[in-house]
Amino acid sequence: MRWRGTPDLHRFLRRLPLALLAAVVLWALAKPAYGHVLATVTQALARATENPRAAVVRVDGNYAMIGRTDFRAGSGWLKTSLIQIHYNLIPFLALVLALPGPFGGRGWRRLALALAVMVLAHVLGLLWQLKCFYAFDMGPWSEANYSAVARNVYGTLRYFWDLPVTFTLPLLLWLGFFADRAMPLVGLDGTTTPRRT
Amino acid sequence: MSAHDDTLARCRRGDRGVDGVVTGGNNRSVEKLKAFLATPAGSFLLRYVVILVVGFGVLAAKPVNDHVVEPYTTFVAHEARIVLNVFGEGATVVGQTLRSPRFAVVIYNGCNGLEAMLIFVCGVLAFPSPWRRKLLGIALGFLAIQVVNILRVVSLFYVGVLKPEWFSTAHVFVWQSVIILFGVLLWLLWVQRYAMARHA
Repeated sequence: MRWRGTPDLHRFLRRLPLALLAAVVLWALAKPAYGHVLATVTQALARATENPRAAVVRVDGNYAMIGRTDFRAGSGWLKTSLIQIHYNLIPFLALVLALPGPFGGRGWRRLALALAVMVLAHVLGLLWQLKCFYAFDMGPWSEANYSAVARNVYGTLRYFWDLPVTFTLPLLLWLGFFADRAMPLVGLDGTTTPRRT
Repeated sequence: MSAHDDTLARCRRGDRGVDGVVTGGNNRSVEKLKAFLATPAGSFLLRYVVILVVGFGVLAAKPVNDHVVEPYTTFVAHEARIVLNVFGEGATVVGQTLRSPRFAVVIYNGCNGLEAMLIFVCGVLAFPSPWRRKLLGIALGFLAIQVVNILRVVSLFYVGVLKPEWFSTAHVFVWQSVIILFGVLLWLLWVQRYAMARHA
């Protein structure tokens, strides 16, 4: 039994190294601005769900500094890696860019939708870090403001975002949003309408 | 056609009204999603997501974590220790910490290769193919991911020894991206080499 991959898969595999390089460049260019966007949106979301509205998320290089304005300056800050949250953009972009004709047939629109899902996942990932920091690491304040149930919920959400969601999102979004191009690589038909020939 | 009939027809088509409000757009999206899930690709994706959620849920359970994940992570640390000692590092393992006189790394969940394995194994289980080929794929995939993961741990150890300021970069964005792509590539190759071989 000799392996003969489909021509599409061969082309995909040939394009993947260059696509990975392009993905790293795009990610590195977007990273500084994207970190600020994530911090701003996460802070707004955290403040919308608390009273008093004192959550603070600041960017310090590749890290987010999480704290509160109603705590003494210099106390109660968490330094968490932003790269750990959004690095999965690299494999996702690499998988998309390696596809044959990724932007044909509303490809840009699908890429925008997939990226919107990814941004939402990143914001929630940072939000769960913030909530876990508040719920677990601020001593008596945490115990006074977060119940055991809340701590379990936020701990579970952080676990699922840190590992399963971050690891699997690139593949799921690639297969889901680019099914008509990705699925033929494995011999599955993802088209819901007859193809034009 | 009455105004009511016209509105119904527009809703079915998902047309936009003059005010830009989508009329029936949600229905159209749901129907498109249902149509996609009815395709072989859609049903595969659905199965894949369900198996992934169940798989990660099982791994997250405390008894599984205590009796499977942690011993497995220690096993990975010992594998890396053996490789490092081939290079004369004099490494030892305490728990999940791999230590030598020059550097030490702690292997956490997420660094033990189980996630890449789950990405791959769930893809294999969800794909329509005979069980014998699935089991063969899982066994070979397990070995391949082990090898790549040991390479990751050992290379990170040496990055820590030689360029500690690069450790975080190499650990997070280089190796984690590589591991995700490796899981995907391995699955694509399994599909082509084993699952689809019957069509050749």
